[in-house]
Amino acid sequence: MRVLLVEDDALLGDGVRAGLKLGGYTVDWVRDGEAARLALLDHAYQACVLDLGLPKRGGLSVLQELRARGSQLPVLILTARDSSADKIAGLDAGADDYLTKPFDLPELQARLRALLRRAGGTATPTLEHAGVVLDPASKRVTRDGEAVNLSAREYTLLLDLLRHKNHIRTRSQLEESLYSWGEETGSNTVEVYIHHLRKKLGADFIRTVRGLGYQLGDPA
Amino acid sequence: MRHSLQSVRLQSLRWRLLRTVCVASLCGLALTATMSYWQAQHEAEELMDGHLAQSARLLLALVRDNEEHLGDLATRLATVRSDEQNLYEPPLEFQIGGVEGALLLRSEHAPRVELSAPAGYTVIEHDGQPWRILNLVAGSGDYRVQVGQSIVLRDRAALEVAVQSVLPIALMSPLLLLLLYYSVRRGLKPLDDLTADVAARSPDNLMPLAARHVPTEAQPLVVALNRLLFRLRATLDNERRFTADAAHELRTPLAVVRIQAQVAQLTADSADRQHALDQIVAGTDRATRVVDQLLRLARLDPLAQLPTSSEIDLAALARRVLAATPVPEKRPGLLLQTRGKPLAVSGDAELLEIVLRNLLDNALRHTPEAARITVFVRRENDELALGVADDGPGVAADELPRLAERFHRGSEAGSDGSGLGLAIAQRIAELHGARFEAENLAAGGFEARLRWPRPPVTLRQGG
Repeated sequence: MRVLLVEDDALLGDGVRAGLKLGGYTVDWVRDGEAARLALLDHAYQACVLDLGLPKRGGLSVLQELRARGSQLPVLILTARDSSADKIAGLDAGADDYLTKPFDLPELQARLRALLRRAGGTATPTLEHAGVVLDPASKRVTRDGEAVNLSAREYTLLLDLLRHKNHIRTRSQLEESLYSWGEETGSNTVEVYIHHLRKKLGADFIRTVRGLGYQLGDPA
Repeated sequence: MRHSLQSVRLQSLRWRLLRTVCVASLCGLALTATMSYWQAQHEAEELMDGHLAQSARLLLALVRDNEEHLGDLATRLATVRSDEQNLYEPPLEFQIGGVEGALLLRSEHAPRVELSAPAGYTVIEHDGQPWRILNLVAGSGDYRVQVGQSIVLRDRAALEVAVQSVLPIALMSPLLLLLLYYSVRRGLKPLDDLTADVAARSPDNLMPLAARHVPTEAQPLVVALNRLLFRLRATLDNERRFTADAAHELRTPLAVVRIQAQVAQLTADSADRQHALDQIVAGTDRATRVVDQLLRLARLDPLAQLPTSSEIDLAALARRVLAATPVPEKRPGLLLQTRGKPLAVSGDAELLEIVLRNLLDNALRHTPEAARITVFVRRENDELALGVADDGPGVAADELPRLAERFHRGSEAGSDGSGLGLAIAQRIAELHGARFEAENLAAGGFEARLRWPRPPVTLRQGG
């Protein structure tokens, strides 16, 4: 679950990144509007947390360009501008949600979950497949009602596969979802995590599509 | 309450105008009425004298033709005597006599006055009342005639004429006053409209007043008011922007503290928790700095002049600030460069130290670690300068003029200053009669300084 964080303030950006990481997201952090524009062009994100008062290019301009491109990316505006007019302008420019500073970290995480849920086309808060239930709010996974212990990476990988239930996910797509910029990626780490998940959730839970990638197995 | 109402009326243009115009009009009317009154009375007297003379001549003519029947004439004349009640025909009394004054004929109530009196008008007393008498002698000289009227009755007629001539003026006065009142009200209506227009202004509505229907006399007032409204709007906008910026600057570190505190609560990793706690301290430091700078600016803003002033050795001041500035480990040391003789200005040492600290702080914040930072005190062409220079990347040209604006931040990311340091430097420069200047250096780098156009005090040798 890869999220782009656009925030020019060093201390606040650091805090939001840490908070999002706690929520199980892979976070790329850029600190000006131009870098945000380039990152959005180059990478596939599942969501964007956007500040408005940015150097080089305003947050609204970044958002408008994104929407002009036809992107459906869920965008949450996170800003100190708290007037009604600002909120209206932000939402009308294409934002999906608006949160003003100072804000509550659990609230930010919940709003982001809601955005991602809607973007995935579902309204129920939990994701389910073949008896495996994932609750993004508590980050708990159960298999046939029994809790399953997953590492952070395993959890992220499972979440990605569950969100793209009917799609084949390539190895590079899964890697993007797992690692932010600058993080070391081993040559076969995705395979390692898939192997772990199969051990914990059943060998048929994830199937390999030869030459393409991975997909959730047919429910038994 | 009554007093205030009275004073309001005294001040009111409408009441003053109305009072003046009414008093003037009433005086004019009264004067006209008085003159008409006297004139009418006089004319009535003349007219009645004329009648008296005409009647006397008629009598003379009648006597001559009726010499033989004077007794019949007397009887006939008595039958045409008018009634005393008839206002405009006061009864005419007469005596007719011969040349020697012997009485030949008289009306019943005629006053008994000697006929021998000389010809012409006289006034006599008869029965305790004044009478107007006319004596005439016939052209042939054989008869004399004397006619008379009671002055009381004559005056009654004259008075009636005079009163009738004054009456229209008296009746018109209230109408005139009413007309005056409405004219004044109508004439002052544009001022009332203007008042309502001004009253409609509030901090939310400081639009200029419409000058289209305002009378020429009030135009300068409207222009002045509009200028005031414009300044007021600009000031208010500034205040609002400042408040919004200040709120933003305080809210951001608070948001930092909150989110890092929550990260520290939620994380299981002890290194992450330590990092979050460190960030909380940094956020608190920043909030403290913003509050300090805001307070400093708030104290400097209302000052018209320096609170204290003494002679300050700038080089010594720069050394003090340098010694007190902690230099981050990886940075090369700070340099002090003094050029020229001992340089002194009169001013407030504490404030000048704040300027230098802010400039140093900025240089440390905005240059790469390898950059060399120099504090300088120099004298060139009769000009004194105190400032900080660096050989870093400089500042984007379009940002230079906005550097000292309150809460202006450089466009490069990562600045965690308050955005007030240079605004404070500029304010302190103003208080010292100096100029705050910032520019990119031709050789690369950036320099910010306070510059005194001329040495403000004479330089002491060896000071």
